[in-house]
Amino acid sequence: MTQATVPAVAAAPPTTVSRRTMTIAVTAVGFVVGIVVYKATRGQEVPSWLNLHVQQHAQDAYHWITQNTGRNWLLDAIKSIGTGIDWLEKRALSLLRVLHWTGVIALVFVIGYMRAGLRTAILASLTMLGVGLCGFWDLTMITLAIMLVAVILAMLIGVPLGVWAGLSDRAERRIRPVLDTAQVMPAYVYLIPCVAFFGIGVPAAIIATLIFAVAPAVRLTSLGLRQVPVVSTEVGRSFGSTGRQLLGKVQLPLARKPVLLGLNQVIMMAFGIVVIASQIGTGDVGNQVLGGLQHLDAKLAFSAGFCIVFAAIALDRITTGERRTKHGAPTTVWIVDRRRMWIACLVIVIVAAVAAVVFGVEDFPSWRIGIGSGAKSAIDWLNENVRNGVPIIGGTGSINDVLTRDVLDPIRGVLLSAAWWFVVLFFGVLGYVSGGWRLALLCSGALVGIAAMNNWDLAMDTLSQVLVAVTISVALAIPIGIWSGRSRWLESALRPFLDTAQVLPQFVYLVPVVFLFRVGRIPGIIAAVIYALPPGIRLVSLGLKEVSFAPREAAISFGATPRQELFKVQLPLAFKSIMLGINQVILMVLATVIIAGLIGGGALGLEALGGFTKPNLKMGDGVAAGVSIVLLAMILDRLTQAWGNRSAPENRTS
Amino acid sequence: MRTRIHRGTRFAAAAVALALVAVACGSDNKDSSSSATQPASGGTAAAGGAATGAAIKLAVNPWDGSAVNANVAKIVLESKLGTPTTLVALDENASWVGLDAGDLDANLEIWPSGHAADRTTYIDQKKTVVDIGTLGPKAKIGWYVPSFVTDAHPELKTWEGFKNPDLAKLFSTAETGDQGQFLMGDPSYVTYDEQIIKNLNLPLKFVVAGSEAALMTAIQQAETDKKPLLLQFWQPHWMPPNTKLTEVKLPDITPACDASRVAGDGGYACDYPVDILYKAANAKLETKNKAAFDFLKKFTLTTDQQNEIAQKIESNGETPEAAAKEWVDANPDVVAGWLG
Repeated sequence: MTQATVPAVAAAPPTTVSRRTMTIAVTAVGFVVGIVVYKATRGQEVPSWLNLHVQQHAQDAYHWITQNTGRNWLLDAIKSIGTGIDWLEKRALSLLRVLHWTGVIALVFVIGYMRAGLRTAILASLTMLGVGLCGFWDLTMITLAIMLVAVILAMLIGVPLGVWAGLSDRAERRIRPVLDTAQVMPAYVYLIPCVAFFGIGVPAAIIATLIFAVAPAVRLTSLGLRQVPVVSTEVGRSFGSTGRQLLGKVQLPLARKPVLLGLNQVIMMAFGIVVIASQIGTGDVGNQVLGGLQHLDAKLAFSAGFCIVFAAIALDRITTGERRTKHGAPTTVWIVDRRRMWIACLVIVIVAAVAAVVFGVEDFPSWRIGIGSGAKSAIDWLNENVRNGVPIIGGTGSINDVLTRDVLDPIRGVLLSAAWWFVVLFFGVLGYVSGGWRLALLCSGALVGIAAMNNWDLAMDTLSQVLVAVTISVALAIPIGIWSGRSRWLESALRPFLDTAQVLPQFVYLVPVVFLFRVGRIPGIIAAVIYALPPGIRLVSLGLKEVSFAPREAAISFGATPRQELFKVQLPLAFKSIMLGINQVILMVLATVIIAGLIGGGALGLEALGGFTKPNLKMGDGVAAGVSIVLLAMILDRLTQAWGNRSAPENRTS
Repeated sequence: MRTRIHRGTRFAAAAVALALVAVACGSDNKDSSSSATQPASGGTAAAGGAATGAAIKLAVNPWDGSAVNANVAKIVLESKLGTPTTLVALDENASWVGLDAGDLDANLEIWPSGHAADRTTYIDQKKTVVDIGTLGPKAKIGWYVPSFVTDAHPELKTWEGFKNPDLAKLFSTAETGDQGQFLMGDPSYVTYDEQIIKNLNLPLKFVVAGSEAALMTAIQQAETDKKPLLLQFWQPHWMPPNTKLTEVKLPDITPACDASRVAGDGGYACDYPVDILYKAANAKLETKNKAAFDFLKKFTLTTDQQNEIAQKIESNGETPEAAAKEWVDANPDVVAGWLG
């Protein structure tokens, strides 16, 4: 249980010997007292007076909605928003269809060229071609049209909110919990209410995507505004700019890069929800993934899954790229060069028209690549060779058994048997040590909230799974990240794998994972690790690369071995970035908890799923479980952020 | 400020120009949009149809039987009744919300056991959805084991076999320890398994797999490893080749047991009742398109007919559309019966 405090203690630099001794002594005493109190109060459960009956209230609210749809003017007004969104999507889709596959690929090329240059343009358009080669061009265009509308709406809502949050600390404090909720609340909880409010299919899917993906737009806009140098705003102000002018002419233009990164992140998040949203009638490529899984057709599931991956990677490349001018300075202004844009657009239209009319290839030709069958053979090979009879480790089947019996069960046992207030107290102390009273209050308050929602046991079960998944992910992400931060070769070799792991719908590899392991908690943990590794590896490697050359050079000139240089210079200086990586790993793992409910993980994930599988009976349970997941995420997020922030300035002074 | 407006205008101008081009090109090739996914606009006549009727939307829930019914109905609606029909693939719970709002006109295969609450809300209380009769097939939820298990241990053909802790232990996993695992699949199905296990005092532990896909994988895994597996399953359902399940006999349904199910007192300790599949439509369909409503009301398929079409999809790899078309062409008498 003290494991969690170790990073904070270890990271504290030895300013004075006495302080270190003090810390160790306090920790040791705390540990002993903790053990004694834990043993003495074991088994005290959450008292029933604490139960706020959140489930019942949420269920009543949902019942009211089902009783009043079509009868209430407010609900009708909301429904008409859905109709408007549907209209927008139809237009976007007909635009994509009119362009035909040739036009769409040309469009990707042109945007890629204008934003990032020829190399990216070619890469992105080839990736887009991959969508057709996987076999679901038209269905992917439906997905793309939904994405387009959702992303545009997310930016229209997110950027103004981000401006508000960027200019006012109070606004930032108010918006942040909302963003956390939007990002971590399992989509399954609000999917059916979205259908009730906005109508089946496209409108509900777009709203759900919007909720899930809007957070980065707000966060990065706010961050961008806050990073604008004070000098620039001061100059603007001293020339007599009004607040509006300052925002429009100084702050926003200078924050363009983060805002564009926000756009990129919104797109990536939006692709993460395609398969889930397809369950409410979008009729897009996500449905093929589900169909493939239900019929144990790995070939179909992977072919459709890779359509989504290719479309996501193409959009990622053309939105993250940075064009370099002749002087070598990066520039991301692409709207400004009006003439070139018009010519480019003209080219697209000509290409599309020519392709459609002259060659008669309106539909994507029947060229295919065997990515689905390739994936299927890989899975078959794994199933035959990795499940049993591997020397020493035995195979995935025995890994499953050992992890369940010897790791998960004991951790869950401790969390469940501890008195509920002891766990609250423990996290309160952890919060105080990490970041002071405020954090202590937040951590223990959130846990009491979980208790008040009558979700204590489920939350402790989920927490034990999250702890194991995070430990495995971090143990893998740090060494791989260090290695790839020091080796350009490894980094470029890893990139396609990391990209794929991040955007491949989790559903696609979930079922193969179930086959390798067994229905239960372990497959969910493995899926969480696969999903959480990319950001972890990326941030560790980024942190190492961003360490400036001077201190490293100094260390080497003082005769440091590569090992010393890594451990004494690079790693401490990259600490903040590494902690951010761990923070992201935790949030990604929690985002997978719900998915784990679909393959036997049980706990809060399965409970939250109730809102989707039996809305008329279990919507309330789903909402309460969803809120509990959000509260767990907040605790773990704020704690890790505090560790990252606290140690950074100390590193600088040492 | 001025620059911002400027930039905005430029961007808008570009967008409008693109849209105009899109519309212009769109009128050149009208048939470029595929009809399968684009909902037909209301009131237009289908090409070659005898009469005209308002366009309707049918739900397709994620299993083969649902796809079979909807595709057969679509062919008849379009070719005989001139009703443009769109199929919407979606989850069963979302279907109810769609039927309520009129976003969907009918769902042709509802399993009653999972949707008692929906029935109360939408059919009995709100009256926005109407029951339009049974579909034909009778379905059954129950306890199943792979047939190789009962071949080796015939006593496991009935629930009493599971009273033996040694036999129950054959089904244990890391998650269940000494007890046998009882696996339940899709959480949207009705389940009395926990009650049955408790009330019959069986050394089993209830585990939720969480989805049909996970359940199917577990079955395939059990078959590959020849490792015993006990699960909640339902018929009719497709099976991967070389896989066979045997139903475990549970105690017969008694009046007391049935009363306990209705009361929801946790005392359920017998077999699952038979599910009589039914059809439901939006209440306004009758006025919107009477001919289509009457046809859907009369529409039935027997279990054998449904299986015959499903077989073509599963084994021959045909699309549901093609399989349904073949069957409709080969069975004009049945079709005439629905329309008469």
